[in-house]
Amino acid sequence: MKTFKIGGIHPNDSKISRDCKIEVLPVPQKVFISMAQHLGAPAKPIVAVGDRVKTGQVIGEPGGFISAFVHSSVTGTVKSIAPRKDLAGNCVVPHVEIEVEPDEWAEGIDTSDTIVTEIPQDKDFILGRVKANGVVGLGGATFPAHVKLAPAKQPDFLILNGAECEPYLTSDYRIMMEKTAQIIVGAAIMRQVLGGPRTVIAIEENKPEAIDAMNNMVRMLKDNHGGYDGIEVMPLMKKYPQGGEKQLINAVTGREVLSGKLPADAGCVVQNVATALAVYDAVQKNMPLITNTLTVTGDCLPAERQHNYLFRIGIPLSYIAEYAGGIPDEAAKIISGGPMMGKAIANLDATTVKGSSSLLFLTDAQTRRKKASNCIRCGRCADACPMGLEPFLLYRLYNAGNTEELENNAVQDCISCGCCLYSCPANIPLLDNINMAKGQVMGIIRARAAAAKAAAEAAKVEQK
Amino acid sequence: MKNFLVSPSPHIHTSTSTATLMRDVVIALMPAVIVSVIFYGWSELLVLGVSVAACVLLEYVITKFLLKKENTVCDWSAAVTGILLALNVPPTCPWWVVAVGALVAIGVAKMTFGGIGMNIFNPALVGRVFLLVSFPTFMTDWTIPAGFITTDAVSGATLLGKYAEGGVEAIQGVDYIKTLFFNIGGSAGEISALALLAGWVYLLVRRVIKPWITLSIWATVAAVSLVFWLAAPDQFTDPVFNLLAGGMILGSCFMATDYVTSPMSVKGGVVFGVGIGFISLMIRYFGSYPEGMSFAILIMNAVVPLINLAFHQKKYGRK
Repeated sequence: MKTFKIGGIHPNDSKISRDCKIEVLPVPQKVFISMAQHLGAPAKPIVAVGDRVKTGQVIGEPGGFISAFVHSSVTGTVKSIAPRKDLAGNCVVPHVEIEVEPDEWAEGIDTSDTIVTEIPQDKDFILGRVKANGVVGLGGATFPAHVKLAPAKQPDFLILNGAECEPYLTSDYRIMMEKTAQIIVGAAIMRQVLGGPRTVIAIEENKPEAIDAMNNMVRMLKDNHGGYDGIEVMPLMKKYPQGGEKQLINAVTGREVLSGKLPADAGCVVQNVATALAVYDAVQKNMPLITNTLTVTGDCLPAERQHNYLFRIGIPLSYIAEYAGGIPDEAAKIISGGPMMGKAIANLDATTVKGSSSLLFLTDAQTRRKKASNCIRCGRCADACPMGLEPFLLYRLYNAGNTEELENNAVQDCISCGCCLYSCPANIPLLDNINMAKGQVMGIIRARAAAAKAAAEAAKVEQK
Repeated sequence: MKNFLVSPSPHIHTSTSTATLMRDVVIALMPAVIVSVIFYGWSELLVLGVSVAACVLLEYVITKFLLKKENTVCDWSAAVTGILLALNVPPTCPWWVVAVGALVAIGVAKMTFGGIGMNIFNPALVGRVFLLVSFPTFMTDWTIPAGFITTDAVSGATLLGKYAEGGVEAIQGVDYIKTLFFNIGGSAGEISALALLAGWVYLLVRRVIKPWITLSIWATVAAVSLVFWLAAPDQFTDPVFNLLAGGMILGSCFMATDYVTSPMSVKGGVVFGVGIGFISLMIRYFGSYPEGMSFAILIMNAVVPLINLAFHQKKYGRK
């Protein structure tokens, strides 16, 4: 069985909520829809206070090339458009507050459950729908999908990320089990728009049911419909961070994305299985991305309080926590996302966004940082680093303020997966410092590039 | 709402800590400790007790009163040094000599540099070599004390000592199988290669250490001594003898693999191991000391910072 070659760790996968079927989360009286639910420029609100909006109606337009449409997830009246505190408590991004009424869907959206298996042939139609329906990558980075689906050269591989390598998270697993056909149709649509590359649905071995379900459905679709050739399911060994884009490419294809380059440069496009589902909805149903699946879990929750919810975007996290039975007493930290790369929630009133994937409750014993002691030079951080970096060295170089050597030792390649800090027996805050070092070095690299560009332009002017 | 913890990711942490790693080393040394106590009896217990107690106490006193830093005794590393030092001296070594060794190991080789993780040289080996040059009589007194299953004390000599004195003829007829299981005479830890190997395998299984440093030492010793032995069998000892005799197993499994004083990368570890294997064999063949393992490891310890500079692991997406 394949996996990525360099580094990686094996934390307990703790998929406690794996058998909890997806439940539809009710909608509260008010939702707050963020204009920054994607990587890139925030969307510009195009509604005004007092407007009545329908479910699925556009309320935010892209604010740049790398940006995305934002739609209303409910029907109702716009009450305010103002900045609202996000997860970390920063109050910058405008949110559209909507007072909720019973659903009335916008024109042209197919809300039926019928699975549409016929793949559209027109690439522009597909890309148009993906863009118009605000689809973004749901694997964590929320990169606008229409940009990623239009690479400069035709890729050799389309990889569907079903690794779900973060412990605790089970939303991808549940959609692979319950929305198997839609995901494969979504994959076939993306394959069509990318010119028919080899399409691999990569799933870690700790999800054998999902591997079986996917295999069976791929076979069924191939047997009964055209347009499903070239799609395969690939089981991968369980190892974190297999779902990291660069690691997944290495695991599936054996290739490496060169430093500073994009997956497209290695002939690969990676999309999460949840993104494939969103692409299906967008293209086949003209359904904008206004829902996603979210896991409510944690060891301090009893079995009956583990959940996977289908939620509408814009619902405050506090409402979800309340609906799920309240915050457990033992919880010391609440995380949005996985325990390795998720964000600790400072403000539970923050709202769900397109990329929300979990509400994870960790106890004090599980999560409190222990006091750091001396480095014993065991090299475990370097063994664990999936980018082949030497975190112990980067940590020291950062403390010494040596940005030149930090750059020489490739701090800018760090993917912030957390393997180094997780592995350190001396509890040294390696990643904290490396992230800061990366910020400094990236700043220097950008400044240098800008200076070079300015110099080139000045030279051009002089020649004239 | 109650206050929740907020910190950067990752939010979970491995259960492995410095203390669990060092405790595993202590567990791995237990077979060798037990065998040495059985064969060397009360005198070995005294050496072990004094060594461990002195190392732990010294670390405590130095961190608390001299450095005024947080006490690091709980990380088990002082205990590891104590056991290794005890296994590196003869069982007849007087208690106060052992205590001096502990003072040098912990006080000079470890704490002077800043405590755990900061030392350049393996503390137990610095202690041993200090004793070897300061108290050569005590350190090369190979009288075998009465053990718990053997009876009377007898005087002995190590195999390497015999070879250094009398050449290859002096060690004719040595039973290698016996050497593997229990070879009485020598430092306390050198009795049973098998007991040491059992501990080494435990460390590998628990993923405390990697095998490459040890294997590269063995491969180098085997290869180089094979060349010498084939060229002049009446002058040089054979590879099997060199792998089993003296401190080869103890040194290669437990001293050379010390995290702090060995290279961080696999490639660096192999270079380190080749260096130790070669230097130790050259001392055995040509040096004035019968055994060269300690010196070889200490010499290579000094080169570790350079090795770390020269060898890096393969980075993703870079040549």
